[in-house]
Amino acid sequence: MSITTPQQLEKLHRECRAKRERDKKRVIVCCGTGCLANGAAEIVEAFHKTLKERKIEGFSVEAVKETGCHGFCEQGPLVVIEPHGTFYTHVKPKDVANIIDKSIADNQVIETLLYTDPVTNTKIERYPDVPFFSHQQRIALRNLGKIAANDIREYIAVGGYQALAKVLTSMKPDQIIQEMTDSGLRGRGGAGFLTGKKWRTCASIKDEPRYVICNGDEGDPGAFMDRSIMEGDPHSVLEGMMICAFAVGSNQGYIYVREEYPLAVIHLQKAINDCEREGLLGDNILGTGFSFRIRIARGAGAFVCGESSALMKSVAGEIGEPRAKYVRSVVKGLFDKPTVLNNVETFANVPIIIVKGADWYKSIGVPTSTGTKAFSLVGKVKNTGLIEIPMGMTLREIIYDIGGGIINDRPFKAVQTGGPSGGCLPESKLDLPVDFDTLTKAGSMMGSGGMIVMDDRTCIVDLAKYFLNFLVSESCGKCVPCREGLYQLHRIVTRITEGKATEADLAKAEKLSDAIVLGSLCGLGQSGANPFLSTIKYFRDEYLTHIREKRCPAGVCKALIRYEINDKCTGCVACVPACAYDSITGEKKKLHVIHQDKCTKCGACYAVCTYDAIDVI
Amino acid sequence: MTHDFSRLPELIDRHPRSPESLIMILQEIQREYRYLPCEALMQTAYALGVPLSRVFSAATFYNVFSLNPKGEKVIRVCVGTACHIRGAALIQDQLENLLHIKAGETSEDMKYTLEVVACVGACAMAPVVTVNEKYHGSVNPSRVKKLLKDK
Amino acid sequence: MVSLTINGKLVQAKEDEMLLAVIQRMGIDVPATCHHKAVEPFGACRLCTVEITRPEWDGWTKHVTSCLYPVEEGLVVSTHTPQVIELRKTILDLQLARSPKARYIQDLAAQYGIMRTSFEEVPDGNDCILCALCTRVCDEMGFRAISTVNRGHGKEVAPPLHEAPPDCVGCLACAQICPTNFIKYTDNGDIRTIWDKTFEMLKCEQTGQPTITRAFAEYLTKHRGIPENYFKLGDLKHRHETAATMGRVALWERQEKV
Repeated sequence: MSITTPQQLEKLHRECRAKRERDKKRVIVCCGTGCLANGAAEIVEAFHKTLKERKIEGFSVEAVKETGCHGFCEQGPLVVIEPHGTFYTHVKPKDVANIIDKSIADNQVIETLLYTDPVTNTKIERYPDVPFFSHQQRIALRNLGKIAANDIREYIAVGGYQALAKVLTSMKPDQIIQEMTDSGLRGRGGAGFLTGKKWRTCASIKDEPRYVICNGDEGDPGAFMDRSIMEGDPHSVLEGMMICAFAVGSNQGYIYVREEYPLAVIHLQKAINDCEREGLLGDNILGTGFSFRIRIARGAGAFVCGESSALMKSVAGEIGEPRAKYVRSVVKGLFDKPTVLNNVETFANVPIIIVKGADWYKSIGVPTSTGTKAFSLVGKVKNTGLIEIPMGMTLREIIYDIGGGIINDRPFKAVQTGGPSGGCLPESKLDLPVDFDTLTKAGSMMGSGGMIVMDDRTCIVDLAKYFLNFLVSESCGKCVPCREGLYQLHRIVTRITEGKATEADLAKAEKLSDAIVLGSLCGLGQSGANPFLSTIKYFRDEYLTHIREKRCPAGVCKALIRYEINDKCTGCVACVPACAYDSITGEKKKLHVIHQDKCTKCGACYAVCTYDAIDVI
Repeated sequence: MTHDFSRLPELIDRHPRSPESLIMILQEIQREYRYLPCEALMQTAYALGVPLSRVFSAATFYNVFSLNPKGEKVIRVCVGTACHIRGAALIQDQLENLLHIKAGETSEDMKYTLEVVACVGACAMAPVVTVNEKYHGSVNPSRVKKLLKDK
Repeated sequence: MVSLTINGKLVQAKEDEMLLAVIQRMGIDVPATCHHKAVEPFGACRLCTVEITRPEWDGWTKHVTSCLYPVEEGLVVSTHTPQVIELRKTILDLQLARSPKARYIQDLAAQYGIMRTSFEEVPDGNDCILCALCTRVCDEMGFRAISTVNRGHGKEVAPPLHEAPPDCVGCLACAQICPTNFIKYTDNGDIRTIWDKTFEMLKCEQTGQPTITRAFAEYLTKHRGIPENYFKLGDLKHRHETAATMGRVALWERQEKV
């Protein structure tokens, strides 16, 4: 069926919405990254198989929906029974038969599968009542967990493509750009550039053709917001791009998807195919004369290709070496033509801003950072997962109220935001509101949304070394300050972790960092020294301890620690086979011994010991 | 290592014959042969009308491409930040020691290739190891041996 | 024409010029190891970085590589601020760590007071400073026989597959433009060898002196319209005459003037 007019779209919307309201009873199986990795596919299969056998009245296999990420990854695999909103956690395939018999056929709740609130120690039935969700405001992630990821009709049922119809029939490009500008939406990829301003500049350049590119590279390790949107609500990205294309006068779009996200490519391609089939992509969309096509370009494993000029080179089939941006890519971008490059999350926000208006969006968040931001909250926090919060919420609220605090209630040490180019903020900064400018002023940055929480057993110097190592291996290698400078900075920090550095080395690292910041060609290099600069700002003492005392307070840096068995050892022999280097000897019921000359500090023994008998010194 | 290169024209034809398609075509080849054979690079250069030097640059620039054949089991340790914090380095050490190869290498019997990858986007299940694209989450250093035996 | 200020002096420049050209014309010595008149600017060494500002910026400054930054009316440029000098020192220090034996870098570094690197010497370092002048001039010549391979710190200049490059014609442009003489070739009169590829030399019919590789001559005849018999004589005057008539100047001639 082809949607050739706005009226047909409206009619289809009413039909799909009515169907959705009729088929109220649904089983939602979360197929986000974490749940998939934990066996969500097997759960879906179990539902299909068991429903075929059981034949429940008024409930068919079609009512089992595979959706995008709910965000509460720590509790997955997740299953939600609509319309009640019954929230089941840690579901296994063997639970499926029970769920069908009790919750679907009989509307009962299975207590053992419910979520237990650790604070009140009570079970919570419905997911909107779970504190993890009730503190959030999901706008970019609005459809994740609500609609089947791969069904265009579900997207249309909840109002999808209404924004597109609105702009094509009742708004001029200028008005659309003004609306985006008024909303205050800033790029969600990390730079935080005003989206409306970018579109306006592109539209004003007298050169053709113009291109719209969606940056789905999401290179920051620890970030999976864009992945979840591309996999769970691909149409929101397409619709955002279409609106942008109409506003700036483009007929060709690209979505650049990271190589490591094959499922995102599949879901996006299906969405594109469905749109083309229905007439929402291609020529004369909705009969308005507007034509737009989208192609997917795949990354091939290069963090630097998240940088706009490198990304555009990669789309053009070349190596991703950035160029000096004295002429911005919005003026001369892909194939040297005016190009708008926006992040996945930015585009996902566009349709709802058009429908609900700039004033609505502005009312959320803080004046200089309006709206909400999606974060991947990971690391040593109890509730790891995908969240979305209004700008201005404090780090403390995010980490403790939503995140549930530190695992095992260990002391909080730092939170890292902004990926490798970002920075670490210590406990004293926990009450800072999260917004673009506040984080930058504090020495970190918003970045794409990765938020890594650390406890006292994380060594900050080791973390700096880790990020520098990452940046060294991802540097394109073109310019000297980044290629050679980051390499040497990594060498200095490595020597610090090995207890082989002096205070003069620290001064040298600071001076070198200045050159890297000042001299590098692109953003990767210019922010490449941040892992060192942001950690030395708040954690200088930890660096000095490594240098002066040759000690690692967190017990991480291998060269500076020892594993020793204490007298709590019961002789259970668990650690002996766990050691891959044959460095533990011990007989049953006798005190075991770690031979320091063979020990590689791998920590395997520490991980298996249940008697707290191994000390890290 | 001998290959059936008769499939190459079909792989190349999956994309428009222009320089733009270089990376996409190399990815098709990488997926098909699990590495980039020299013959494939040369045919691609010829088909797209791009110099061989440029094809080789691309083949050596991007992480996903391998100029050497991979083993039967490709084991990838995620060393993204969340996984690092939760002990990915220890797991990498264990695997390197068990397989007697370093990350980026393939065992002599061509059974295993060990790689590290920056982030597979499953951060809530850190640390993550994939074996031939199958995800294993919350990997414990002591469970590593068992992981290798998994099909 | 455009007016701008460089180191306090008001100068005129053509509208599409880059800052570096103007700076060099003024006789100011700004190092630029990846820069050469024969190829497009690249912005890789970062040594030509200068500080720029404008009166309306209220003292806010920016740092740009002068090789790639176009002149602007009213721009105020400073080529040797303390910050810029520190940056150049560090860059040269870093390059010395990679190429400690390269005379070209040693001389430049000495000009900035650096006699040896203060960093760890890079293992597997060599005289290649990764300026990419060779690959860029090879592109300019039309052969694109060599390129930069690998990424990041392992980056190097190499022929494809590390074998004799199929597109190389032995023109020696790469060896001639290389500032550290890293690219080696041998010429024994009959055979030239570069990048592990051997080329037959054509000889001047009068003097018997080797002139040009057969492969390069064939390319020039086929693609640049230079008649075959042009290569039969190696006489310099003859070459200048023919080149002037053809309106083309071969690279080695341009090199002599530059």
